[in-house]
Amino acid sequence: MRMELVYREISPGRSYLKRAYLSINLWFMGRAIQAAARVDDQVRREFRSLPDKFTFALGIMPEGPHFIVQKSGVDSARYIGRCIDAQPVDLKMEFKHLEAGMLTFTFRENTPVATARDRLVVDGEVAYACSVVRILDIVQIYLLPKLVARLAVKRYPRWPLGRKLINRTRIYWRSLIGY
Amino acid sequence: MLHVPGYYEYCCRVKVVAGHDVLERIPAILERVHATRPMIVTDRGVAGAGLIDVMTEAMGDQVTIGGIEDDVPPDSSIEAVRRIAEAYRNNRCDALIAVGGGSVLDTAKGANIMVSEETDDLMAFSGVGTLKRRLKPLIAIPTTAGTGSETTLVAVIKDHERHQKMPFISYFLLPDAALLDSRMTLTLPPAITAATGMDALTHAVEAYTCLAKNPLSDANAVSAIELIAKHLLPVMKQPEDRDGRLALAVAATLAGMAFSNAMVGMVHNIGHATGAVCGVPHGTCMAILLPYGLEYNQHRNGHLTAELLLPLEGADTYARTPRNQRAQRVIARVREMNQSLHDITQGQHPRCLRETYDRDGNAAVPFERLPDIVAAAKNDPAVFLNPEDLDDEDYRMVLEHAWAGTPLDCTRIKRG
Ligand SMILES: [Fe+2]
Repeated sequence: MRMELVYREISPGRSYLKRAYLSINLWFMGRAIQAAARVDDQVRREFRSLPDKFTFALGIMPEGPHFIVQKSGVDSARYIGRCIDAQPVDLKMEFKHLEAGMLTFTFRENTPVATARDRLVVDGEVAYACSVVRILDIVQIYLLPKLVARLAVKRYPRWPLGRKLINRTRIYWRSLIGY
Repeated sequence: MLHVPGYYEYCCRVKVVAGHDVLERIPAILERVHATRPMIVTDRGVAGAGLIDVMTEAMGDQVTIGGIEDDVPPDSSIEAVRRIAEAYRNNRCDALIAVGGGSVLDTAKGANIMVSEETDDLMAFSGVGTLKRRLKPLIAIPTTAGTGSETTLVAVIKDHERHQKMPFISYFLLPDAALLDSRMTLTLPPAITAATGMDALTHAVEAYTCLAKNPLSDANAVSAIELIAKHLLPVMKQPEDRDGRLALAVAATLAGMAFSNAMVGMVHNIGHATGAVCGVPHGTCMAILLPYGLEYNQHRNGHLTAELLLPLEGADTYARTPRNQRAQRVIARVREMNQSLHDITQGQHPRCLRETYDRDGNAAVPFERLPDIVAAAKNDPAVFLNPEDLDDEDYRMVLEHAWAGTPLDCTRIKRG
């Protein structure tokens, strides 16, 4: 039997592309959380309920890309970077491996299914994790077209048209320019 | 139709010994884990009911009991854990036997961490994966047929100083054996038999109808439901029915295996919150909320709920009921069970939150507290695996109906 049949081939090139894809997605998502906390009332309410300076990270294990966001002020948030070793984090949510991250970020597995399949490791207070999951859901609804967002979240909400259209544009712009 | 997920994990490695004369086997079971001096951990209620005497008598003089600690508080606390660990060391014990419900077992698990890791800092071992090796032998003897905690790898211990409930999660926390002896649940009072039986039913139903279901947990869940449906009401009418008692104990363990692998959903989510805010016993919350969880999720998982009519009411009723009415029939059946339990216990088993009372006879869940329950529910992770999402308005709607005892208005359930 030839080696290729026994061992799955590891292709460094493709895994490099996946890392890059996830890096960009996570970077944009982190910046979008900062933007959404300025624009959307519900996201602001969630941040208000978190402790001061609360810091959380979402990323890929081991040593994959991450984003880190910190609560600033009463109800706003700041994207503070990609390196989780640089500062202590209160809540860390990590996909167990690159492939699990890809399944979610290419919308083949939505967040509830990923949870059911135990794809994520949550390290930190679960009550805060509940808040963060709600924030991530709202941000995904803003960032993704309805057809894709429906695959990502459990229930696509019925927001007034203004909230969706106007806020979405504002969040996109703010994420891009980082404000 | 069996649902086979693309990926799942299932683990169940607790030896179960079930029967009418299991307690007599304790010496042999201890020998197998190389223990000779066990410490018995229990609470006042269990000891007061004479169950420890039943046990020591059955064990005979083949075993030297290293000590009996019988004052575990209803909420397993770090103080109790420390006290038991100290007694264990002073008496040079080499195994733990936990006799009781969830809090007794959690306390024994906590003490086991302290004595096995030879540490005074229990909290250093909280969280996932901090335990790296086998602990001292632990045998679980449940005295309620409900929690199923004898099959779980979790212990929750309250840290009063930090006002936090600390979770400990590790496969090393699974007991070495769970002993189900009909004598241990024979004297359980009717209202508690009812509430714990409905808790076990809820474990099985939520495991079967929520998002982490898999064929292995499904098999556990279906058997548990069949046993509870067949034996709960007869045992309520005839408390000394030994076979029925044993069947319920086995059902609770099966349901425990199902939900410790497939998790639970909004019934436990809202139930945890109601328990935390208003102090309503867990099983009571489950009994009241179960039909609402099924109703709320029906547009997502009605086809799964419908399948449960078979274990719940048998082949004849299942065949006779048109396919599109089976889920409704399951929900109605759960409500009928609650009504029967209410009648048999002369009203001690409440049918809605409005009918729950605290020890002094005051309403346990005043209508004004519903917003507090909503706030607590939002921070409980059990909702993650519920098929449908809930926002503040949804929680509020479900709670208002569960409070008044009226069915949900299906037109108010948002479908996205
Ligand atoms: Fe339960």
